[in-house]
Amino acid sequence: MGAKPLFILLCSGEHEKIQMTAMMASVAAVSERPVTVLVTMNALAAFEKGLDRSRRYKGGNFSKLMIDKEAPDAFGLLGQGKALGDLRIHVCSMALDIHGWTLDNLADDLFDGELGLTRFLSDAEAGDLVTM
Amino acid sequence: MTHREKIDARGAFCPGPLMELIAGLKLVEVGDEIEVWSSDKGSAKDIPEWIAKVGHELVENEECEGYWSVVVRRAK
Repeated sequence: MGAKPLFILLCSGEHEKIQMTAMMASVAAVSERPVTVLVTMNALAAFEKGLDRSRRYKGGNFSKLMIDKEAPDAFGLLGQGKALGDLRIHVCSMALDIHGWTLDNLADDLFDGELGLTRFLSDAEAGDLVTM
Repeated sequence: MTHREKIDARGAFCPGPLMELIAGLKLVEVGDEIEVWSSDKGSAKDIPEWIAKVGHELVENEECEGYWSVVVRRAK
């Protein structure tokens, strides 16, 4: 029997929560656990195409420490999780609509398409669901 | 003869050393070894955990001067 899938609902735009999502998702994926991340709400803004790191992340004390000490970047970790394991990253259809965006407005090479909440919740019944 | 590659991940924070190890393992043959150096204490524990979980072989786990040296043999 395969490992129990992990589903992460990323709502927050806080750097610390985006980082923790990336760390959980990438480590779980490389540990042979299928992972699905759904990006929505305030998190969406961090994934806008063309943002440099100084504009992408907004956070507290730990955000500053991570930047000052050059902790692995969340986008880099997500990319590694996709390259080295089974990690899928989707964007919430509703959040895109509210922003007036399409997938083309989002960072390249991260997203596996749009996903609705109904499908995400249905899939998540088979695994563990974490909300950030 | 067993081939061993070295990865110096000193200075990188968790999960950086683990990710570098995994990327390195993808590039070697089954039976070959990767020696990863990490100054990150968390990674020194996480890496052996990962090795056990996915089924590779822990050859060596040694605390050195200011860093840890973990050797893993690719098992599959």
